[in-house]
Amino acid sequence: MNDMRMENRVDAQTVKIEARKVQVHYGTTHAIKDVDVDILDKTVTAFIGPSGCGKSTFLRTLNRMNDTIVGCKVSGRITLEGEDIYDARVDPVQLRAKVGMVFQKPNPFPKSIYDNVAYGPKIHGLTRNKTELDEIVEKCLRKAALWGEVKDRLQSPGTGLSGGQQQRLCIARAIATGPEVLLMDEPCSALDPIATAQVEELIDELRSQFSVVIVTHSMQQAARVSQKTAFFHLGNLVEYGETGQIFTNPQDPRTESYISGRIG
Amino acid sequence: MVMNTDQHILRAFDRDLEAVQALIMKMGGMVEAALDDAATALVHRDEELASRVRQGDMAIDALEEQVHAECARLIALRSPTATDLRTVLSVMRIASSLERCGDYAKNLAKRATVLVQMSPVGGSSASIARMAKSVQVLLKDALDAFIQRDAKAAHHVRQSDQEVDQFYNAIFRELLTHMMEDPRNITPAMHLHFIAKNIERVGDHATSIAEQVIYLVTGEVPEGSRPKADVTSTKEG
Repeated sequence: MNDMRMENRVDAQTVKIEARKVQVHYGTTHAIKDVDVDILDKTVTAFIGPSGCGKSTFLRTLNRMNDTIVGCKVSGRITLEGEDIYDARVDPVQLRAKVGMVFQKPNPFPKSIYDNVAYGPKIHGLTRNKTELDEIVEKCLRKAALWGEVKDRLQSPGTGLSGGQQQRLCIARAIATGPEVLLMDEPCSALDPIATAQVEELIDELRSQFSVVIVTHSMQQAARVSQKTAFFHLGNLVEYGETGQIFTNPQDPRTESYISGRIG
Repeated sequence: MVMNTDQHILRAFDRDLEAVQALIMKMGGMVEAALDDAATALVHRDEELASRVRQGDMAIDALEEQVHAECARLIALRSPTATDLRTVLSVMRIASSLERCGDYAKNLAKRATVLVQMSPVGGSSASIARMAKSVQVLLKDALDAFIQRDAKAAHHVRQSDQEVDQFYNAIFRELLTHMMEDPRNITPAMHLHFIAKNIERVGDHATSIAEQVIYLVTGEVPEGSRPKADVTSTKEG
């Protein structure tokens, strides 16, 4: 296959997160079966698949969000830059500062716009004084393409913003701790098409600094924003490849059935 | 490499895809008939049949437009992916190939009308009719391969185009001989030569349709140059 488009669309081939033989059990349910995947740095990776296929579960293993779920057992090996994230010495709170997350429904804290962004840097002690904190807040709001819309009302409650603005505020909050990876679980499913386009544009810009992993039910969204696509089905990672290849010439009949809207 | 022939959950999608492919088959049938009629008009010096072929080309052009409009609609409304996307893309390219073939048939008919006014050049018309027949078979095989999603049959068409090239080489030499024998043969022989060249082009389009079928079925464009037997551009007559 002609690999020119790989070079064009995937800027770096450095592996950021490496998952090997990952299994997730919820009680007796085997939710993730033997998943091997390399998440590349400075690349948007989309996880697609029907409801219940395990894509969100797998996403949540990448920053140990499943730790809080009773009866959830993760085995196998997941490394972030070579370091095992399930190692006993790893502090999950520190890990989540490095691997940030944005959820389906915008969930700003019931605080001011400023405090929403300042919260992470404050608790992680990333700044020494108010000036530095102000700088971080402005920088993150700018990166999240929200600064122009909120700079005159930083002390208003974050919950007073529109849905799309709230989601961009959550993204600003997630990047305020200087993460290396940003996980997004259906970040646009509660947004209108314009807000969706703004978030997608933002994702594409963030890719120059982070590795972004996005779970989406919208195949068009996966096609629009990602360079790599992983298709999950019944807990298995069925196919993982360059997004253009997955959408024009998938190699597995299950991928083909799913992306083309057939009964599989 | 995946071909999926299951039905879509949204059945209107299947109906749209089938409708556009039905247009291709209709177009293919019209082009085959136009070629056949044009060759017959040439051999039997039938001006009326030639004129009907010339007029019929408009309908083929209109069908191409319709295929392109339907494909644009399909892309806009259904966002086809994978096999569906490759189907739409190949249908568009096949429609363009067929439209060109229709133009060649029309040109053949036009020249057949001119040739009626001149004295026949040896048995060249009959050789050209045989060549036209073999190209028609090639075109039909390529379209059958499309409908059957048969990459193997498409490969076969791709390999068979050299027979058409050999026909062309033989006619080229034959016409050259007639022209050298008697300069009065030059005008009709030139027309016959253009006709042979155009039929050879139809063969190339049949090959390109076959390549679209291979892309549709396998997702890969066939690599490597296909066998060619047209030596008239590389050797002296």
